[in-house]
Amino acid sequence: MRKLPLLLLLLPAPVLADEVFLKDAGSISGRIVEQNETTVQVDVGGGVVGVPMSRVERIQKGRSPLDDFDEQAKKLSPKDVNGWKKLARFASEKGIPAQAHDAYKHVLSIAPNDADANTALGRVQLDGKWVTAEESYRARGFVRYNNEWMTPAEAQVLQTEAANDQARRDAEDRARDAEQAARDADSRAKEAESRAKKAEQNQYNAPYWGGFGYGVTEWPMAPTFNQIWDEDD
Amino acid sequence: MRVARWAAVMLAFGTVVAAEPARSVDAIVADYVAARGGLAKIRSVQTLRQKGRAFGEGGRQAVVQRELKRPGKIRFEFTVQGVTGVYVSDGGKGWMVSPFEGDMEAKPLPEEAIADAMEQADFEGPLVDWKAKGHKAEWAGRETVAGREADKIKLTLASGTVRYESIDVKTHALLRTETTRKLGNRTVRVEAVFGDHKKTNGLLFPRSVEVGAVDRPQRLRIVVDSIEVNPPIDDARFRRTTAP
Repeated sequence: MRKLPLLLLLLPAPVLADEVFLKDAGSISGRIVEQNETTVQVDVGGGVVGVPMSRVERIQKGRSPLDDFDEQAKKLSPKDVNGWKKLARFASEKGIPAQAHDAYKHVLSIAPNDADANTALGRVQLDGKWVTAEESYRARGFVRYNNEWMTPAEAQVLQTEAANDQARRDAEDRARDAEQAARDADSRAKEAESRAKKAEQNQYNAPYWGGFGYGVTEWPMAPTFNQIWDEDD
Repeated sequence: MRVARWAAVMLAFGTVVAAEPARSVDAIVADYVAARGGLAKIRSVQTLRQKGRAFGEGGRQAVVQRELKRPGKIRFEFTVQGVTGVYVSDGGKGWMVSPFEGDMEAKPLPEEAIADAMEQADFEGPLVDWKAKGHKAEWAGRETVAGREADKIKLTLASGTVRYESIDVKTHALLRTETTRKLGNRTVRVEAVFGDHKKTNGLLFPRSVEVGAVDRPQRLRIVVDSIEVNPPIDDARFRRTTAP
């Protein structure tokens, strides 16, 4: 099975681009600009995508539609509206929308009211003018909240919900802090009680000073004392 | 799940018009099933492959492919600028490889995405055999969808989820569905509007789908370019090749 990738490289398949197939699923298609033992870099026409070789199942080499696009763009006159529209459609059909976008933008630079280019770029007509979708939403009374367009009423509801959520979280935090403070106080009280008990015990474990001559013959509760000092530190 | 977020909102399609004497839900559903090609034909579909293009705001565009296989398997591929992400559910578990943000490893699908996938993988749709499935259906008036008059059916699924299905009064094709989806910690009413219905192998399919949240302006539009009924699709298409 390890020979499979090599076999696939040799197959005369109708290849459309360099294609990096990922393990499990998914792929990156474009122009391979660099490949080494650890990474393969693919220019997808809208940036370079790096793929760790450890995630690569196989690589299939071929001519990219990006090459065709670049070649055709070089041949076009800058003022050839129909030529640039045709090139934009080609890019769109070949799945390279960044190039289609650039070509349509070029069309708009020479023919600002071209309906095909405006529509392809997501622009809409508003009062006889081509505007962006966002401008049309705003004109229709929608507002933007959390990067989504909605009615002002819905935005108000969401804002209120968010404020209520925040207030609830703050209240929960305060309650948690109060609980913690109560636990700390309880712990301190228990500790004090424990120390008092130890002190009381110490009274009964007082060193025996006599019998073996002078001097301490027993170091009462030493571990306990050390423990308390450590905790206090 | 930027892909999901890409899909957004409305075109103010659904306007409920004055209630008229209702046809029985059974009659509406029977006409709808017949318009799709009939129950036997629908049940004969074991696999399905649909290819198309998706359009979002600002001229954003993607190539999409959806493969379905009984029972409950679905694989969705989404290609933007040469980068293909894959989302798969076998009806119980789901996984995805979504390299759009540099993530090249398979990851489990979120639970809500699996629930959506199971719904999408249902060849019949909830209206077919709704009684046997334990759903409840009632006529909820008429509405105009993209200029066409439609019977609106309120469907309460056995799970308790409520959804609406709007059936064209004249052609009996499904024009619109409305249901709720969990997006993060919020519940959003989502609608899909179907158009450009054509038959493939005797079965009626929409060639145009617009998805968005109700009462919001953004939309994801899908144009279906090709449909294959019962193509061979290996079960391996729905399995991971590496150990999870």
